[in-house]
Amino acid sequence: MEYPILADNLPQCIRQLLLYDAGDPITLAGGFFLMAFVVFMTGYTVIKNFARLRPLYVLLFSLYFYYKLSGVWLLLLAGVALSDFIIGRCVARSKRHGRRGRGWVALTVIIDVAILAWFKSAGLFAELIDGLYGEGTLDLGKVAAPAGVSFFVFQSISYVIDIYRGRIEPLSRPTEYLFLLSFFPKMFLGPLVDNADFISQIRAPRLYISKQDVGRAARLIAGGLIKYAVIAKCLGVMLVHPAFAGEMGGGGFVALMAVYGFTMQIYCDFSGYTDLALGVALLMGFRLPQNFAAPYHSATITEFWRRWHISLSTWLRNYLYISLGGNRRGRIRTYINLILTMFLGGLWHGVGMTFVVWGLLHGIMLALHKIWLAVIPGAQTVGYRMPLWRRIPGVVLTFHIVALGWLFFTAGDLSQAMGMLESIFRDTDISQIMPTLESAPAAFALMAVGYAMHALPASVDRDIERGIIRGGFIVQAAIVVAAAWCAMQCSAMLAASDMAGGGLPIYANF
Amino acid sequence: MKGRKNSSIRSYLTIVTAAAGIVATALIPPCDVLGIRLHRTVVLPGLIRFESDEAESIVEYEADIERLEEQLAAIEVEEPTVPQPAADTLAQEPPVQTRFEMLFETPVGRGRIASVDEIEEGIAEDFVPIEDFDTLPRTRFEEFIDRMVDGQPVRIAFMGDSFIEGDILTADLRDGLQRLFGGCGVGFVPCDIPFATSRKTVKRRSAGWDSYSIMKPKAAPGELRDLFFVSGYISHGGPGADTRWQTATAYPTLDSCTTARILLISRERSSIEVTLDDTLSRRFDMTGDKALREIRIDHPYRSVRMKIIDGHAVCYGITMESPDGVRLDNFSVRSNNGHAIFGTSPVINREVDAVLGGYDLVVLQYGLNIMQPSQRNYTRYRDQLRDMIAYARRCFPRAAVLVMGVSDRCVKNAQSGAYETVASAEALTAYQRAAADSCRVAFWDTRRAMQRYGGMKGFVSRRWAGGDYTHINYAGGRAVAQALLDAIRVQAAAARQELDIRQADEMQRMRIIAERYHRRDSIARAKVEVISNMVDTIFDRAAEPITETRQM
Repeated sequence: MEYPILADNLPQCIRQLLLYDAGDPITLAGGFFLMAFVVFMTGYTVIKNFARLRPLYVLLFSLYFYYKLSGVWLLLLAGVALSDFIIGRCVARSKRHGRRGRGWVALTVIIDVAILAWFKSAGLFAELIDGLYGEGTLDLGKVAAPAGVSFFVFQSISYVIDIYRGRIEPLSRPTEYLFLLSFFPKMFLGPLVDNADFISQIRAPRLYISKQDVGRAARLIAGGLIKYAVIAKCLGVMLVHPAFAGEMGGGGFVALMAVYGFTMQIYCDFSGYTDLALGVALLMGFRLPQNFAAPYHSATITEFWRRWHISLSTWLRNYLYISLGGNRRGRIRTYINLILTMFLGGLWHGVGMTFVVWGLLHGIMLALHKIWLAVIPGAQTVGYRMPLWRRIPGVVLTFHIVALGWLFFTAGDLSQAMGMLESIFRDTDISQIMPTLESAPAAFALMAVGYAMHALPASVDRDIERGIIRGGFIVQAAIVVAAAWCAMQCSAMLAASDMAGGGLPIYANF
Repeated sequence: MKGRKNSSIRSYLTIVTAAAGIVATALIPPCDVLGIRLHRTVVLPGLIRFESDEAESIVEYEADIERLEEQLAAIEVEEPTVPQPAADTLAQEPPVQTRFEMLFETPVGRGRIASVDEIEEGIAEDFVPIEDFDTLPRTRFEEFIDRMVDGQPVRIAFMGDSFIEGDILTADLRDGLQRLFGGCGVGFVPCDIPFATSRKTVKRRSAGWDSYSIMKPKAAPGELRDLFFVSGYISHGGPGADTRWQTATAYPTLDSCTTARILLISRERSSIEVTLDDTLSRRFDMTGDKALREIRIDHPYRSVRMKIIDGHAVCYGITMESPDGVRLDNFSVRSNNGHAIFGTSPVINREVDAVLGGYDLVVLQYGLNIMQPSQRNYTRYRDQLRDMIAYARRCFPRAAVLVMGVSDRCVKNAQSGAYETVASAEALTAYQRAAADSCRVAFWDTRRAMQRYGGMKGFVSRRWAGGDYTHINYAGGRAVAQALLDAIRVQAAAARQELDIRQADEMQRMRIIAERYHRRDSIARAKVEVISNMVDTIFDRAAEPITETRQM
């Protein structure tokens, strides 16, 4: 029999819990967030109908959560918010005076891109300086980059461009804009939101949450926890990391499984975390856009980008691809724009050859698919318009192109990626299968579960959701508890077997 | 908004209920479901932790050397005529047939003889040496090394805490030694353990046992409490209790065992079935006896299954090994700081020592559980450690003793939130070294070896250690094992060199005598050739083919 015991010096422990801790930042899947969210919701429910107070209340918690996530970088977030809020108003003013305000847009792009470029390449920069003046001259390793910097910077750029394009009116209160950037469910990993839509949600006079919303939120949170904290975490720690580190032995089959494993891991990790964000926002009455739609069901690469990280690809299309001229400047320019967009998208993940290859691969494939659409009669963009005999090979081919991309994406360097590719094609035989499967049975079982869940048609998903909505709040709470318990078990098991992995989502690095 | 029902209260209820439910999952006690170990889930482990009252019943053993001497004296009185009483009790009265052998006896060869170059290959330049405080002209540790490099079978008892649980460190140390000096097999594996663990180096499945740990002896019935030996676990079983051990393939030296010894005590008449590779089985009827006995298997096997058919017996475990080379037994006991040895029965320790042919080296790896971040004075622990060494020496008379210093450990600094090496580790190491010095045994500084990789922080950043900044994992164990192996290899290389010179001298002498005979009597030429061949065969390296000497 075991008894609960409070920590010895409780006040200090609580203080430590409330303060920023670089080693243990807050995530939506963590215990601290759960407790803080309950506190938040209590106040939120009380003031739900005070339209002026509610955004301020949310903003306060958002800022605190950002501090818990990233510490002093809160100031950077506030700085970006303030500068783009002012620039937004300047753009609007110059438009009123008949000018176009291009200079202001250029200014915001320069500021924001400079911030991004600095944090993306600081490591590289430090390496360069260290190379010139000796190891440790510039120690940037201690300073963690601000969390979610890409997301709030992108959001901020889109806000100014939207004003420039006349899609929205500039906000009148800086707090409202800070709310838009820092809204806590999406502050870490997005999704990027449509400014016009989100502003209208902030300004909603009454809090409105439907019965369906609660059920959907429960499903999103439970599913997100299973995907993010169970499947992705375990796959990463038990299969992908050891396989890429060479701890599972050589052989093509191990390499192949590592690639399939990572393909599932990154999907579960990212989409799981986004689902959590969507679910949490939904409980507060905010509807964030869907970010993933079963991406590995895609039958073409173009379709893949309509199903994968939808908010970013929409952003890239609206604000980068279209700004580059999109498809209105002739066919050749379209292809170049596509490749350039994906190339920059690759660089955004990090300055390194592996990301360049990943970006170029996707860019070239997108361009090739555009050519295919133009040349082959009856070619389609999306799978459901294809006959089955074309759709199935399409899905398999697309999946493998994407998986190839992920191999480059996650490999330490190009030579490792090439080495693994070579061993997949040269050194795979049937005799490797059983020993490899036996070496990490739990990981492979989870991978199978992940792919099986992903393979389910969308209608099954909808049926489950309908069932949960009908089940009432006891069922909804129960599935969240069950999922959270699985997640906690997983992390306890990984910790107990000395395999504790990093606590942050993969995309936290980007 | 009219007409649409607003469910914001429902939303709040859902999240509060869910949160309450999640917090309440902490009430599910840790348990095993379908072979999966479930842990306790605590939402904010920083504020609330769970402690068992079982933990409170962990016994602190005190050294009682007088009792030790009394008990050992008692068995010496029983058999006054023989110097090694326990061993001979067994040899004199084999009560029943307890051997499971092949039709043809497996030849017991010598272990592998490694050359100096082979031993020395790849030793790190900044290796951390073993500090030998023994004052004998040929120290006991050196004698152990001599036996090992000479190809004689040696047996190592590696006693430790959770640091080596699951064969961490020892797996790689064993592998390294066996590659150099021969031998195979994982060594001792317990019959059953009261909590779930797994080892990469062996597969074990057990059912139907009542198992007890030496750390919680109060859980065990009174008559079993005095039966622990240094393995720290006993299992008591009746009809139906069974365990199946299977060799693993994680290391190449693990799965070609030809010998196994099941260690057990059957105080009443019992019948035990042993099955090899799930096909070959034999039944052993044991008469009641309070002495420790073995069922010995001399037959190549991949798996051994032991099942009690009738009666009751206490089973300790099995040793999976080969008759030659290096055998390394991992005796890890969780949360033990070494004092548990005082709770073991000296008689059974001696009996185990005798049954297994005598331990050559005892390694004591402890300290993690005694170390407190703020404590600098470990005088009491030093004295305890001295008693542990004395105890181990009395129980394993032939063995040299090697004390391992405490490993590096980091704790979180409350102010900065960064992990820092605890200063007390250095202090504890000094006390451990002092104990080794005053007992004249060997000492190895684990912390220094870990500092080569940046200490525990370096281990964590390499993913060689868990997030608790205390326990290393297999990969980390490999690094520490490699460092310890380097230290052993340096001594082994020196011993090998000396042995080579001595053997070359001896051979020269024999050759001269043989030649003298040769000249004197040509009729005896044939005999001389035989002698000369024998000399060559005995002293020649294993690496040189015997056929060459025959051609001479």
